[in-house]
Amino acid sequence: MMNSRVLVVTSGKGGVGKTTTTANLGTALAMMDKKVVLIDTDIGLRNLDVVMGLENRIVFDIVDVVNGNCKLKQALIRDKRFDGLCLLPAAQTKEKTAVTPHQMRNLTNELRGEYDYIVVDCPAGIEQGFKNAIAGADSAIVVATPEVSSVRDADRIIGLLEAAGLTDSRLIINRIRPKMVKKGDMMDINDIMDILSIELLGVVPEDECIVISTNRGEPAVLGNVSRAGEAYRRIARRILGEEVPMYSLDESSNLMTRFKKMLKLAR
Amino acid sequence: MSVELLANGLNDEVVIDLSAYDSLEEMIIQLEKSLVVILKYGKESQVCIDTGIKRLTERQLRELENVVKEKGLRLGELRNSENNVKGDSSRETIINPSSQFVEGAETVMICRHLRSGQKFFTRGNIVILGDINPGAEIIAGGNILVMGALRGMAHAGAMGNEESVIAAFRLNPTQLRIANHITRAPDGERVEVNSPELARIRAGKVVIEKLKI
Repeated sequence: MMNSRVLVVTSGKGGVGKTTTTANLGTALAMMDKKVVLIDTDIGLRNLDVVMGLENRIVFDIVDVVNGNCKLKQALIRDKRFDGLCLLPAAQTKEKTAVTPHQMRNLTNELRGEYDYIVVDCPAGIEQGFKNAIAGADSAIVVATPEVSSVRDADRIIGLLEAAGLTDSRLIINRIRPKMVKKGDMMDINDIMDILSIELLGVVPEDECIVISTNRGEPAVLGNVSRAGEAYRRIARRILGEEVPMYSLDESSNLMTRFKKMLKLAR
Repeated sequence: MSVELLANGLNDEVVIDLSAYDSLEEMIIQLEKSLVVILKYGKESQVCIDTGIKRLTERQLRELENVVKEKGLRLGELRNSENNVKGDSSRETIINPSSQFVEGAETVMICRHLRSGQKFFTRGNIVILGDINPGAEIIAGGNILVMGALRGMAHAGAMGNEESVIAAFRLNPTQLRIANHITRAPDGERVEVNSPELARIRAGKVVIEKLKI
């Protein structure tokens, strides 16, 4: 029996990068030879299939599975690039209420035996879709951007997760702009950590490559050029339990700090 | 009193902490007192009861439930600090699993952060070892002491006691209420104070002063 982990990626606020994070972390974990299944629970507004570039392969979806219209195996879409990566797409023509938390729990339990990581993409909001998404989860990854509104919503979500028994949530700060933080125009990591006071899993810089890769349906972690992709790869390694230094946001001094570190080592 | 002003915000869920009372009779008396206050706040309230670490029989639970129903309120759930006795656990308001009662004084201690959307109410004093984040509400009949950052809303002396104070390690609230006075920070001003502060009523106004001990 495999030691599976069910992770739910959530945020409360929309547009902070839940789906992008799910796609990239899932792909990064698969790159490291893990068996991963991604579940899109945003019924009615599905996106994860598009970001993964698997939209045209959908035959059955999550609602078909819970209603017994098909077998779970039939609905899982194998990724184009990695054999160990699968996607269970959401239904586009139904509503969030088409699935219940109980059914979600059964679904994740059914997948547990066969995959190392089950990553659930949560819809925005705190209603039924959110309750479905967290129902079968072992732990949560909360995504927030350095904006007051996003941090406020993340705080609310962490409270709701605690109430549901998910007490070891970890935080990803997404779309941070180092230059703005330096000028004092953007909340910095410490400001956010002060309020949310949960473990920091990683920091992802704002990166134009994300827009390109999303439009192409190829997660940014696949290429070597994207800074956000590099940040996501590091986060994936942290999920696997490795100690990885935080992605340095300071682009200009990146080389300098590395140089200094080398000097220190030499001494 | 400020109750009318508060009525809109308080129609969700209220938790009554009965963990300090041993006998059922005492608990019912206390519950009735609390309900009178809650009724002032608005009839829509859903009431939760925290019974602490005591185990109640099914009959005792029903008696408590009846008291709540008689007042025309809904009983949301009965919980005790170890595990939920009744009601579904997916409920969003968890209230102080580690609440303790200091003997001799009606003071509740909360050893956790209060996050956006969470609310705590007690008739006595409250001590919080943690932060009150924006969007969280804390309401006490007595004083409020926050051993962390107070960034949300705090209401001390909710039953009208103007002597109540609110003290915080970092006092930076969205709104402060003491008895029937409501204040907020002036618009556009952002003052960063890096020392503990105390809010109290002086000459009919809420004033904030440095905490001197």
